[in-house]
Amino acid sequence: MAKSKFNKYIKIGPPTATMPVVDAAMLKVLEKHNNVVAVMEDGGMFALDWFKKNAPHRVVECGIAEANGAVIAGALASEGYMPFLHSFTFAVFGRAYNQIRQSILVDRFNVKITGRDGVWGESGVSHNLVETIGSMRVLPNLVILNPADIVEFEKAFIAMADYVGPVFFRMEASPDPFKIFTDDYPFEIGKAYVIKEGKDATIIATGYLVTEAIKAIDILEKEGLDVGIINMSTLKPLDEEAIIKAAEKTRAIVTAENGSIIGGLGEGVAAILAKNAPAALETVGVEDEFSQSARLSPELDELKELFGLGAEDLAISVKECIAKREKFKLIRK
Amino acid sequence: MAHDPEVIKDLEDKVKVVRRNIMRIFESSHLGHCGGTMSLVEIVTALYFHHLKLDPNNCDWPERDRFVLSKAHAAEAIYAILPEIGYVSEETLDKYYCYRSQFQGHADRWCTPGIDYSGGSLGQGLSFAAGLAMTEKMKTADNPPILGSTNVPKYVMKYNPTYRVYCIVGDGECAEGEIWEAAMFAGKYKLDNLINIVDYNKYSIDGPVEQVMPLAPLDAKFRDFGWWVKEIDGHNLTEIVDTLDLANNLYGDGKPKCIIAHTVKGHGIPLWESTHMHHGKGKGIDMAVTEGREIYG
Repeated sequence: MAKSKFNKYIKIGPPTATMPVVDAAMLKVLEKHNNVVAVMEDGGMFALDWFKKNAPHRVVECGIAEANGAVIAGALASEGYMPFLHSFTFAVFGRAYNQIRQSILVDRFNVKITGRDGVWGESGVSHNLVETIGSMRVLPNLVILNPADIVEFEKAFIAMADYVGPVFFRMEASPDPFKIFTDDYPFEIGKAYVIKEGKDATIIATGYLVTEAIKAIDILEKEGLDVGIINMSTLKPLDEEAIIKAAEKTRAIVTAENGSIIGGLGEGVAAILAKNAPAALETVGVEDEFSQSARLSPELDELKELFGLGAEDLAISVKECIAKREKFKLIRK
Repeated sequence: MAHDPEVIKDLEDKVKVVRRNIMRIFESSHLGHCGGTMSLVEIVTALYFHHLKLDPNNCDWPERDRFVLSKAHAAEAIYAILPEIGYVSEETLDKYYCYRSQFQGHADRWCTPGIDYSGGSLGQGLSFAAGLAMTEKMKTADNPPILGSTNVPKYVMKYNPTYRVYCIVGDGECAEGEIWEAAMFAGKYKLDNLINIVDYNKYSIDGPVEQVMPLAPLDAKFRDFGWWVKEIDGHNLTEIVDTLDLANNLYGDGKPKCIIAHTVKGHGIPLWESTHMHHGKGKGIDMAVTEGREIYG
């Protein structure tokens, strides 16, 4: 058998929905922690059957009142509980931005915020957020997670509960990402994972865009380019060491995110490169515009194309980035 | 139930001390939220020196009554009390607004002993207080623990304390939608351990509250949300302590409590009373403080 081009813990499988694993992940959290509270905002919750059977008093339903819900969660955490706060991101986070800042983050209360979003989906501009990562990264004390596949989803969910402090967990609604990791993959908050080494360029991707990056390197391979992929599932704090290492190796970095290029992963990486390790950079993401509705198939591909987020566009960005490196005369290590 | 006149006399003396301390704060800061601070003095004095269950040696005593100052810009009123309880040193009174000071511009949990909530962004305190009231109910239901205990702060579910949660909101702040989200929440969960006091001083920055955003009838609004409501004169100590006792003793009736305290902005300082002063600065505050010093020493 030929040696895999991917690193340890990587075994690419077919697209697999991530959300169905969330109940199992929550049950594992509940086995380990006895202070979990479900704070609901009429947006659903995980392992609700367990709560109803074992601890109905640990379900706090705030209704469609996200400002109040966020502050209630902060108060519960101030007394030692670990509230899980869940809804669509535009509601649970967007609606309660100042409440989360003032009544959760200032005092670093141990609240876990989980939000469904992504720049595409059927729901349209109100639900398809471009600003999630950018609007959150500026907030002190907040850890931001954006897992790439079903395995990482479950591991990150459990790690979020083990970590003491406020966390936002981004749940991208659709489409389904590849199954990427093996079950023994060791996830760690704040640590990027090198999915594949490459000498010509490195794609630093997050969430669903890791799947597009895996498709893109096949396209580039056919053109004779050896491109690496880094999975950046912790969007804050960014793994500086991994970014600098990749920049020194290839001097051509392409970031890829399911969100606006303003304030997002791309800008975060740009700042680290500018200060530590000059490299040619392309940031793939949504330009300064809002999203709209699109059915899963085939319309989603059109929307992907419109935003330039598909594998083909990603491959073009990689080639542009390599050309830029040559133009800048940057030397690889 | 009527209180011993001695108790009221003692509280009246304490009110003078608190006012004197507030003057000391303003003397060094030359800046402050004077109107909304002075309207609160009798209420917070009655709370801290007569009503709240506190441990002067341990501001984090788990069984203490919780206190949330939602109108955290009136922190000066609490700051004037904290040295008297013993939570901070007396010299802190001269450090309001200072870098690294325990007395930040708005009352903050992260740096001030005896402060349960980091306020400053109006409208959120009542939600926080409702959340604290909810935890008291939850801890009661948690006993005995539902699962094996690991990785949990040691005070969670270790015992079953009963405490009350007191909150003070401003009247202008009641224009915030979140106040009514919290009011609905407290009604739904029958948080009879929550006592909200509205400092109804009738003025906010842009003018009279009834012009900025009409609030009346405030009592009917809270009643419609399932609350027990009583209106009092917020400067009459006897009424304050009697009503606090009454609200406390109604625990178990399934209703959150709202005390609407009619107050006067800048109360106790004639210069401020006549101008409905909200923020004082420089000469304006210095003149009033001189006046205050003549009255309260």
